[in-house]
Amino acid sequence: MKSLFAKMAMATALGLGMMSVQLPAHADTKVGLILPYTGTYAALGNAITDGFNMAIEEAGRTDEFSIVTEDTEAKPPVGLAKARKLVLQDKVDVMVGVVSSGVLGAMRDFVHQSQTPLIVANAGNNLATGENCSPYIVRVSFSNGQINRPMGTWMAENGIKTVYTLAPDYSAGHQMIESFSAAFTAAGGEIAGSEFTPFGQTKDFGPYLTNAQSSGADAIFVFYAGGGAINFVKQYGSFDIKTPLFGSGFLTSPLYVAAEGEAAIGVRASLHYIPTLDTPENKAFVDAFMAKHGTMPSEYSVQGYDAGLALMAAVDAGGTDKENIAAALPNVSYVGPRGALEIDPATNNIVQNIYVYDTVMGDDGLTQKLIDTIPSVRDDVAGCQM
Amino acid sequence: MDASFWLLQFLNAMQYSMLLFLLSIGLTVIFGLMHFVNLAHASLYMLGAYFGISVSALTGQFWLAFILSPIIVTLIGAILYFTLIDRMRAAGPMNQVLVTFGLIFVILDLVRLGWGDIALGLDAPDALAHTVSFWGISYPAYRLFIIALGLTIMISMWVVLARTQIGAMIRASVENADMAASLGIHVGRLFFVVFCFGCALAGLAGVAAAPIFSATTTMGITILIPTLIVVVIGGLGSLEGAIAGSLIIGFLETFGAVLLPSLSAVLTYILLAVILVLRPQGLIPARG
Amino acid sequence: MFYQSRLRSITLILALGFLAAYASFGSYFAREIVIEITILAILAISLDFCAGFGGMVSLCHGAIMGISAYAFTIMSVKLGLPSVPSAMIGLMAAVVFSGLVGWVTARTSGIFFIMATLAFGQMAYTFFFKSRWLGGDDGMGGIDRFDLSWLGVDMNDALVFALFGIAVLLLVYVIAAILLRSGFGRILSGIHSNENRMQAVGINTANHKAIAMAASGLMAGIAGILAAQHTLYISPELLIWTVSGEVLLVVILGGIGTLIGPVVGAIMLVMLKHELSNYTDYWHMIVGMVLIFAVLAGGRGIFGQIEYWLITRHPPKAPHLPPAKEKDLA
Repeated sequence: MKSLFAKMAMATALGLGMMSVQLPAHADTKVGLILPYTGTYAALGNAITDGFNMAIEEAGRTDEFSIVTEDTEAKPPVGLAKARKLVLQDKVDVMVGVVSSGVLGAMRDFVHQSQTPLIVANAGNNLATGENCSPYIVRVSFSNGQINRPMGTWMAENGIKTVYTLAPDYSAGHQMIESFSAAFTAAGGEIAGSEFTPFGQTKDFGPYLTNAQSSGADAIFVFYAGGGAINFVKQYGSFDIKTPLFGSGFLTSPLYVAAEGEAAIGVRASLHYIPTLDTPENKAFVDAFMAKHGTMPSEYSVQGYDAGLALMAAVDAGGTDKENIAAALPNVSYVGPRGALEIDPATNNIVQNIYVYDTVMGDDGLTQKLIDTIPSVRDDVAGCQM
Repeated sequence: MDASFWLLQFLNAMQYSMLLFLLSIGLTVIFGLMHFVNLAHASLYMLGAYFGISVSALTGQFWLAFILSPIIVTLIGAILYFTLIDRMRAAGPMNQVLVTFGLIFVILDLVRLGWGDIALGLDAPDALAHTVSFWGISYPAYRLFIIALGLTIMISMWVVLARTQIGAMIRASVENADMAASLGIHVGRLFFVVFCFGCALAGLAGVAAAPIFSATTTMGITILIPTLIVVVIGGLGSLEGAIAGSLIIGFLETFGAVLLPSLSAVLTYILLAVILVLRPQGLIPARG
Repeated sequence: MFYQSRLRSITLILALGFLAAYASFGSYFAREIVIEITILAILAISLDFCAGFGGMVSLCHGAIMGISAYAFTIMSVKLGLPSVPSAMIGLMAAVVFSGLVGWVTARTSGIFFIMATLAFGQMAYTFFFKSRWLGGDDGMGGIDRFDLSWLGVDMNDALVFALFGIAVLLLVYVIAAILLRSGFGRILSGIHSNENRMQAVGINTANHKAIAMAASGLMAGIAGILAAQHTLYISPELLIWTVSGEVLLVVILGGIGTLIGPVVGAIMLVMLKHELSNYTDYWHMIVGMVLIFAVLAGGRGIFGQIEYWLITRHPPKAPHLPPAKEKDLA
């Protein structure tokens, strides 16, 4: 408990340091970071902010960008009010952020009508780059379908014939499972059973785990994130369930895997980033991140980092104001920690590799072991008309 | 759905019921005895989990954490008692709501400052980190331990309340505090002891739950509602009410989850509404 | 018993004047904050109406507001009705829901009433959360504001909308005050102080409580329409119990049973939250401390305490000291 007060002092200083407006002298581009800093998703908001700031600092371009941060509290009405504030009062050139799909849904029409480019750094709702796509909304994180479709095909190709699925009962949970199931059955697999657990309430997965095991499926495939992921994996371990566990990679994210402990070993999952990728770009990123924060980066910090890289690339390509940045963003492509990235101009969603990985015990605790790479996964143009 | 299915789900339901019992018994007795709405009770549960994780991380001793964490939480409870709770007793329920809600906010941010926003976990002790096989099923030993712990506390509380002098004093004070005081019971001291005991149980529930559920900054506010539901369904202030309430909710949520999954999110609320419409004082009210 | 004392009128004028000035001369975001305050204040008046004067401390006012917002949006966006009839249907939905809740829960009181209303509110929340047709947890957009162009004003202008919100707030306050001054309001206060006695003099208290909840629901419904038109987007978040909890905090913080206190509480809480969140991510702690100190300073809420000081110094003819202690919750 020695560090408690040191941490408190530090966190207070950090909190106070996060004053909403920091205006360098010659800022050319004004960026609004619109993320949750309180509530359930505060850890994600902070990880994305860290990544974003790191990208700008590494490039030595902090003078060029003035950053305004706003807390969405992960509440749609608050998020929308903050977006309006950033655009109409602070007159930002571009917004970066949005963790929850609900907040993105609330902001969508306003972003589109105010013609302010928004770089989505997390929210994965398929519709945002599908039916509800907009030339002003560019996503550098992932879509719910993008992460799970390849896993459906991959599992079917690797000899798994039947799967039991579990996810929280909300839009993202349904999208993740639907896209997985569609790909899995298309590749010849069969869904042995499926359940959606009450969102935000379910802490005890015991009843569901027991059912999943008795379904006799070859594997269990789940989507859980944050506290729910920790609960699920630990309880899966404690019940000593023999059916192998697969999932969306958020299940064993580096952010939470330490809390899951040994129960996470052997869980296979698919994600758009793991910190153990063996590429020079990733190694440089991980080293820099470790040096600065003392922890491994997570997919969330990479999303923030890539949002920063994408923004700088758009500015370099002539993005000087809202209109130019919006026009330049879909043409951005570069090699980042995740590998080669480009934006698909047909949907404005990112095109990226999806990694299938195993959680294993390494020298310094749990780590991610790459099993397979599905290169350049691109979403279908599902009803998107720019 | 064979016998082993029912047995497994029965154990799941028992385990959840026992955690709910540990949380709600403190709340209901404090409520019944002191007429005090301590919404911050659930925050003490959260503190129990976080202190348990820290003690365990520092010492590597789960059982030390298991004992120390409730003690730390009790100390915090005692401090709260002398600074706020005691002087709020006569301030009316609305003021109590405001103060304890304020406490929830303060404790929430103190936890964020002390432990950060990232969810934390605690491993079950080695001795209980395996499954036990019996009657054709295998079940996590730690969950069996929780069931045993809850039942032990339940029975000892029943013995204390029904068979000892302090139990009689508590029952008398719940029934009529003024009368009890005039019979020579030091009601104030009794309140303090009971309040501390309630805090200890909340802390114990927190550290006991940590190996099953992760510790998050929102765990206090999420558990508050189920706990209040247990207390209200059972009827305020009675041990029997808390037992009945936690078993009803534990079994309803567990079996609802597997038998009526599409309704499971609202089953508890439907039951709560039905019970209160039919029995506006809960099932087993402490005072007639 | 409700009295529209001079102090209350002055406070109302000051509060509304402050909001109007803040919106007119403040920045863009000031207007957003003013609308946010008016919505919260209307909801708080609505809750104070049933909680402060009828003893019905509801924890489903967020849900009532949300039901109105959803009904309005279903009518105007999904079924294409014009916005005014849609709003009427939204208000009717809120009135029916809250009236039913009030009627069904009439026999419960204290914390049992709180928990019963929580149950109904959470059922409504879950219904919209799970409803795919209504967008589930992603919510619904595409809402239009009332078209007042025949008056020569553009409701999409933030200032106009903020002033509209203030006008609606004044309207709701007046409705609540008139209802409370009427015979019905007197009976309601009577039920609050002694329900048995009111039954003994032949009053059907259950019906009166249901009607009071329905009237309160009408006001909460107005807040719902305003909220939907403000954000042009609705989601189940409107109905969740923490929204109702926040409104209850506002009512107690401002001064329960004073009608104007909740308006003061809403201004305080929203301004405090926005100012603090500019400086720190740990603003919950400071808000929490304010709540605690507000009680330690007297326990009548901000406005209630000021009123108490003034009244004890200059006792008016009609004694209406706000009670320091409320009835036992259990």
